[in-house]
Amino acid sequence: MDEKGKSLAESVWTRMDRKAGAITELTIRQLRHRVSTWVVLSVGALVMILLLAFYIDGIREEFDPIDNDGDSNDWDNDGYPEGQEYKYGTSDWNGDEFPGSGYYISTGEIDWNDNNRIHSGNHTWEGTGLFDAEWIDTEYSGSRWSGIVDWNDVETCPEGEPTVDWWIDWGSACLYDDGSYFVSGKFRASGTVNAPENYYIEWGYYTDETDIEPEAPSTYIDEDGILWDGEDVSELYVASDCRIGTYDSQTVYFCDGFEVDDDGDCLIDPNDDNNNGIPCDVVWVLDSDKNEIVDIRPDNNVNEDAAESEFEGEMGHRTFIIGTGKMAFVMMLGIFIPLFLALGLIRDETENGTLHYLLSKPIHRAEFILYRLLGYLLLAGTYILVLVLIMAFVTSLIAPGDSIVRLSDYPVWLGVGFATILVLAAYGALYNTIGLIAPKYGVYFCIILGIWEFIMGLFTMTLPSATVPMLSVSHWALQLIDSVVLIAWPDTLQYTQISSAFGVESGLPFFWQPPVHTLGTQSPVVALLVSCSVLVMITLLMMAIGQSSFKNREIM
Amino acid sequence: MSQKTPAVVVDQVSKWYDQVIGINDVSLAIDGGVTGVLGPNGAGKSTLFKLLMGRIKPSQGSVRLFGEDPWVNPSPYRRIGYVSESERMYDWMTALDFVSTLARLHGMTREEAIDRAEHVLDFVGLSDVMNKEIGKYSKGMRQRVKIAHALVHDPDLIILDEPLHGCDPIARTSIMSVIRELGSQGKTVLVSSHILEEIERITEQIVILNEGRLLALGNLHAIRGLLDKHPHRILLTCENPRELARKFIAEKPVYGVRFPNEGQLEIQTNDLSAAHAILPRIISESGVPVEAIDNPDDNLEALLGYLIGGA
Repeated sequence: MDEKGKSLAESVWTRMDRKAGAITELTIRQLRHRVSTWVVLSVGALVMILLLAFYIDGIREEFDPIDNDGDSNDWDNDGYPEGQEYKYGTSDWNGDEFPGSGYYISTGEIDWNDNNRIHSGNHTWEGTGLFDAEWIDTEYSGSRWSGIVDWNDVETCPEGEPTVDWWIDWGSACLYDDGSYFVSGKFRASGTVNAPENYYIEWGYYTDETDIEPEAPSTYIDEDGILWDGEDVSELYVASDCRIGTYDSQTVYFCDGFEVDDDGDCLIDPNDDNNNGIPCDVVWVLDSDKNEIVDIRPDNNVNEDAAESEFEGEMGHRTFIIGTGKMAFVMMLGIFIPLFLALGLIRDETENGTLHYLLSKPIHRAEFILYRLLGYLLLAGTYILVLVLIMAFVTSLIAPGDSIVRLSDYPVWLGVGFATILVLAAYGALYNTIGLIAPKYGVYFCIILGIWEFIMGLFTMTLPSATVPMLSVSHWALQLIDSVVLIAWPDTLQYTQISSAFGVESGLPFFWQPPVHTLGTQSPVVALLVSCSVLVMITLLMMAIGQSSFKNREIM
Repeated sequence: MSQKTPAVVVDQVSKWYDQVIGINDVSLAIDGGVTGVLGPNGAGKSTLFKLLMGRIKPSQGSVRLFGEDPWVNPSPYRRIGYVSESERMYDWMTALDFVSTLARLHGMTREEAIDRAEHVLDFVGLSDVMNKEIGKYSKGMRQRVKIAHALVHDPDLIILDEPLHGCDPIARTSIMSVIRELGSQGKTVLVSSHILEEIERITEQIVILNEGRLLALGNLHAIRGLLDKHPHRILLTCENPRELARKFIAEKPVYGVRFPNEGQLEIQTNDLSAAHAILPRIISESGVPVEAIDNPDDNLEALLGYLIGGA
């Protein structure tokens, strides 16, 4: 009989590809014939469609740009926004002063300590004194608020010595019996002034008006922000050229940025509020590892109005991908799919009385568990991969950014898929083992386990370095996603820090924090490898426990 | 591997479930030909087969298939086909699908498996319906699919647990001829049944189990011969029992007659074979039309009763 080539040695743990193929295929076909499989997969797909709808709704909504420094307002109602008035040096509280309105040039003055306190001429005056008028321009009349003398409401001066016995408001005048005035404020007239001691008056003239078009208020919204395309952090500052110092009693580095005053309103010379010897620039304050921005110190009127919509759009997009990856893929699908598909992988065969068809073959029971899990994983993994690619495709099409298809998103989505598949493997092995050990009550145990995993996942997101969540599968999967995010989008860290520096609200800091399991290297690649290894080890351990339990199981 | 190693060796095997004994100190060695495993329900037939199939572990003693312990090493299944008593199958599969998928678990390629599956399904007479779903099959057809699945890898040892159970007469006949054919091909076949007449039509080599113990092992005719020497009844249903009785009473193996009901004659004998030998001659000589001939004592219960009583 043996000459037929039926060597017994060549039957167990051999021709694995063929046997694995057969059991895998059988498993997939069995799962496909179960309604619960389709229900759970459809619910998963439905959740993704819902999330996409929210995403489209959220990301397509216009981000109202915020005028952080308020210079788009026209406070004095002269038709010119504050930013424009500031550049022309005109007042933003006097409606009579505006770019092109003609400005005042001083030609002479009586200071408070000058000896000669009398001056005659035809001028525009500003100050306090007794005025013997030859001619007064009553058209040039204002009020206390503008500082221009109101010639329409001139009262008789009271008895006594002015500035000693009585006083009048700025922007007003009073008339003596002899026809002279006591004046305080701005006025336009010809005559002789006599300034009291310790008082001041100056005179000069207004230039001719020129025609300057008022700029649109929108010109002064988001006009001066961080010049950064979100691609390369080295565009922000030279990390190698930083000075060590202290900030909030911790060691930090002060780095000169490349940043300049985009809108040209850093006019006052020298404007060096951050004291780095360079006017009109920005200093980045980094922590002692130089990997975290502690503070951003711009000179006055530099970076005073960042275009936060750029950040909001990009951060909203990233928050969606990371949030969906973690909450929907890892913590929802990752926990529920194995509950429905893996718990009964072997238990159901026992209950249906069909297990003996599979075990009366030259296949080791441990081998059998492996192939069963492989079949489950192939089905669930393909499903996850398809779902992830659809999500990646749709979001990359409608996402913000210049390119039509954001290729940099794909590694992150694939990382999400990879993490979910590893989670499916770990939970699959775990749930299958539970189903084997406790066929009757295993499902309740799995549900409790699922809740534990969910809570530990939430803890991992808020406190990634806490110890207890490390006892969960989800912790390692979420850390894996964090690592992939940092590899695919290295600037995510800067995004979170810049957004907090500018006070831009975002969910990103909740959903993403730098990976912690870097073994002290700060390298996301190390964190990725550590997380992957832990997940694979959990899977193998759970499978081994299931195999040893199954090996000694009597099948009635 | 020595060719002398018997296919099945069961050495002083006992198996108990908690307080209940399934198999009690059974020793067997079987190789070649068809062996019927007889015993009433609960005699330990299924326990014996489960031990052989490595599904359960013996409490005592050892089980060897081709020299290997099936509990620790599933490699003998390369050469074994097993038809379980369980009626459950993957009803959503077609017969061809079912047989070829399971064939691939033996390490065959998909093409080999389909080729072999078509061959064995033809052998059990299902080639014209093999592309229908098993769920739509009759009980006899399902049983034949199970047999086909057990034969697909051309095994040397085939174990069939109650293969005829619940089948209609046509299916029975066809399954029996399949089993006989396998035996004549030189394969070792183990068939269990609780009906003596079924086994008798398949094989002469039997193992009788009762209450977990091995009661008898050997040639069915030899065992039966012992039974024949004891009082036995033959029941004839005919029009004129008294006319027929007169003829029988004159013959040597017959020591008495009785008329239990209207139109029935009971012949009492000490030599069943001799009585059966003269039966056709006497009936034809008498010219009395006989509707039926029954052996009310010729069943497993009677045999067991005798074996236990005689022991």
